Amino acid sequence: MMTSMDRGALVSRLEQVVDASYVLHRPEDVVVYEQDAFLVAHAQPDVVVLPGSAREVSEVVRLAREAGVPIVARGAGTGLNGGSVPVAGGLMLVLTRMNRVLTIDPRSRFAVVEPGVVNVDLTAAAAQHGLFYAPDPGSQGVSTIGGNVGNNAGGPHCLAYGVTGNHILEMEVVMSSGETVTLGSPAVDAPGYDLVGLLVGSEGTLGVITRITVRLLRRAEAVRTLLAVFETIDDASETVSEIIATGIVPTAMEMIDGVVIRAVEAAIHAGYPEDAGAVLLIEVEGHADALPRLMERIEGVAGRHRPSLLRTAESAQERALLWKGRKEGAGALGRLAPAYYLHDGVVPRTMLPEVMRKVQAIARAHGLVIGNLFHAGDGNLHPTILFDPREPGMMDRVVRAGEEILRACVEAGGSITGEHGVGIEKREYMRWLFTDVDLDAMRRVKNAFDPAGLLNPGKLLPDGTQSAYSIQPQAGVWS
Amino acid sequence: MELNGERRAALIAELRRILGDESVLIEDADVIVYEQDGSILQAMPEIVVLPADTAQVCGVVAAAGRAGVPIVPRGSGTGLAGGAVPAEGGVVVSLARLDRILGVDLRNRTAELEPGVINQDVTKGVANDGYFYAPDPSSQAACSIGGNLANNSGGPHTLAYGVTTNHALGVEIVLHDGSVAWLGGVVPDVPGYDLCGVFIGSEGTLGIVTRAVVRLMRSRERVRTLLAIFDRMDDATQAVVDVTSAGIVPAALEMMDKTTIDAIERGAPVGYPRDAEAVLLVEVEGVAEYTDRVMKMVEEICARAGARQVRVAQTEQERQSLWKGRKGAFGALGTLAPNYYVMDGVVPRSKLPETMRAVAEISGRFGVQIANVFHAGDGNLHPNILFDMRTPGALERVIEAGAEILRVCVASGGSLTGEHGIGLEKREYMGWLFSEHDLDAMARVRAAFDPTMSFNPAKIFPTPAACGETRRAPAKIPAGLWL
Repeated sequence: MMTSMDRGALVSRLEQVVDASYVLHRPEDVVVYEQDAFLVAHAQPDVVVLPGSAREVSEVVRLAREAGVPIVARGAGTGLNGGSVPVAGGLMLVLTRMNRVLTIDPRSRFAVVEPGVVNVDLTAAAAQHGLFYAPDPGSQGVSTIGGNVGNNAGGPHCLAYGVTGNHILEMEVVMSSGETVTLGSPAVDAPGYDLVGLLVGSEGTLGVITRITVRLLRRAEAVRTLLAVFETIDDASETVSEIIATGIVPTAMEMIDGVVIRAVEAAIHAGYPEDAGAVLLIEVEGHADALPRLMERIEGVAGRHRPSLLRTAESAQERALLWKGRKEGAGALGRLAPAYYLHDGVVPRTMLPEVMRKVQAIARAHGLVIGNLFHAGDGNLHPTILFDPREPGMMDRVVRAGEEILRACVEAGGSITGEHGVGIEKREYMRWLFTDVDLDAMRRVKNAFDPAGLLNPGKLLPDGTQSAYSIQPQAGVWS
Repeated sequence: MELNGERRAALIAELRRILGDESVLIEDADVIVYEQDGSILQAMPEIVVLPADTAQVCGVVAAAGRAGVPIVPRGSGTGLAGGAVPAEGGVVVSLARLDRILGVDLRNRTAELEPGVINQDVTKGVANDGYFYAPDPSSQAACSIGGNLANNSGGPHTLAYGVTTNHALGVEIVLHDGSVAWLGGVVPDVPGYDLCGVFIGSEGTLGIVTRAVVRLMRSRERVRTLLAIFDRMDDATQAVVDVTSAGIVPAALEMMDKTTIDAIERGAPVGYPRDAEAVLLVEVEGVAEYTDRVMKMVEEICARAGARQVRVAQTEQERQSLWKGRKGAFGALGTLAPNYYVMDGVVPRSKLPETMRAVAEISGRFGVQIANVFHAGDGNLHPNILFDMRTPGALERVIEAGAEILRVCVASGGSLTGEHGIGLEKREYMGWLFSEHDLDAMARVRAAFDPTMSFNPAKIFPTPAACGETRRAPAKIPAGLWL
């Protein structure tokens, strides 16, 4: 933390660069920025700046660097790994004012946006040209493109279209020195090192992104959405594995288990049968005349795994309602418990049935309720532990169960995160996936970009210390 | 960086200890084989080694590092930008003996490969089970996976499936100090920095890949191929724009011009019409109903754009024969001239018609014949400048014409290379695309991996230091070689 004298000096210099109303330093102002959606960690920044342009970002970075304080970039704060929690204090750069869609080029199918543009706003702007931006994280109504890029965000439709990294062509980045560089090019596969790919998913540790060129896609001609209902998670998991094995790639294949279904139905009435063990939401897109047989094949596979119901949405409203249940499922969990811990593991899809059984066993062993709503087609699990933090000893059990789930994913040949990133939450788990030599290669790259170590310190890479965050939620958070 | 007698002898002795005598080549007559790749650039290596496993690669890298000599990895030497040419001498590390397919996991659709595995052999190994490895450079019968990774290779079917980087999940690499790191993983999108992505396309400047896990894809239910024949180049390029604007993504959309057709029909005839100005080879893959309907749409679009004739392959044999012409096109250019210089520019697809007109104009202005055979659907041009190296001044004119073509590509919002890489050939042009700050960011990454700059020096980055040892291939084609 800075001394108040240091802070005062930095604030007055910042106010020469950015309008004073966008430089926040009083405790009651900065407290809003102490947390993201990783609800178990919080830390206050010393100063919060909301720059309005890339030039201002560059000036602010220079000033922070001269003052030797950490620089933490933040979008909408919907991140799930604590990536934007300023664990070492310092200066927070909130990029939400830089929210303009600068260009849409329908012929070459790209858009140029500022980092603070909200994900759905980009798709809405592109829709006027019959185009869309593919990555669709659950938070897309709120989360920003800059944050999506920082975390290499995914979403239900990434099964067919790939995660954020597959959709970024070029970016302007303010480096830790304050210099501005342009990485990539609007043409795909620019020569030289793929530094765009490097920055995507780097969680604010390599530079501050101030402009992004994204790929836009054409809307498919037709879409069909199937609700497949099963009595057990096992039957649903086997269906997913077998559909993938037949070579069919749906645009989305989501699983929602009984725990989540009951919460969703109480809150949203999406039309999922409340006595089901699990439902799959399977969507296919393409040319109209190709879809009926594709759906037939999918229904054929599902039919072999004892479904209690297979229902194709008959109208756009019905389809929207089925999706509403999925998209707002996480929020609905608030009905079941005062807190939840949303995990994010990946397994090879063939291992899905086995790992899902393990998740259930872990829940039982710790006496915890775990709800599952996730990207089954990608093998990207989101086991969500429901709990009451006020119960003594509960946090320890929750953290331990979470760790066991991620270990099960890694042992199955998978990974510790599919789309939420590492942040402060999982940095020590990086050692499960990478050797010291592997991690050293990453550290050297970090050092090449940020020799002073000021960009989002304490994130992404393990440093051997116990995470510095408090895992005790504050009193009164839940009313 | 000439090795003097004593240091050279010591290094050779150490390499022989690691690899055995027969895997260390030092005689001029042996190493001269490695002086060139598929480009027109040459430089002699001082030593060539052929390690057989990762441990030997580690030993070689550590030894060369201690001796302070350049280390130049090499696959099959089919690269087109001089990337495997040892511009500053040193040790060429051929990965040709690391050629095992280590494992195939059909259920998770991955294959684990050594770098010397030939591209085509990956697909051959899994085709009977209904799978394939998507990146299919024209050199796929000869080029290696390691070389493909280094150059981020593309191919005709890249239009639908993406280039090599979209198909590599993880790589094991030997770092500058001889240690071994894994970049990426065996599932997609592993956390941490995407160093696998940084490595792919790094042209041997960051380390040596010794193992790779790649993605396999399921073969499609139906494949249909047509040849659309045009009397005007402009109509053919417009058809490309119209197909892609209609939202159709063919599996491949290739163009060949009159000069190329002429070469193919002279060399190994497949029945392309010799009086056409251009032909398009369009392939559509997918489920049967979709494929049939899209094929009809493509036929109609081509006809509307002015195609004289559209031939749809009715049998697998006909389909193969249509492709045979395309795949053999580069070789067939040898029937027109003793040398060709293949360019690899990219333009936004919407700029294709005007760019092709500019290429024709450049051909006239420089007085050079240009054959075009390329991935039209990607906007990835391959103008081949035909010439005879023995004609004084020809090579200089060819290089100037080539640079002019790439300038046009960059000016239209495109790029210097679509799939062949920068190598030695185009490094001085990098400044057209990137600012000094941009290049500096890359240089810092380079230094993070390879602080002594031992791996493949003089590649990718513009450097003031001239490549003293490099020379363009001289006019020394033996009499009778060219028929």
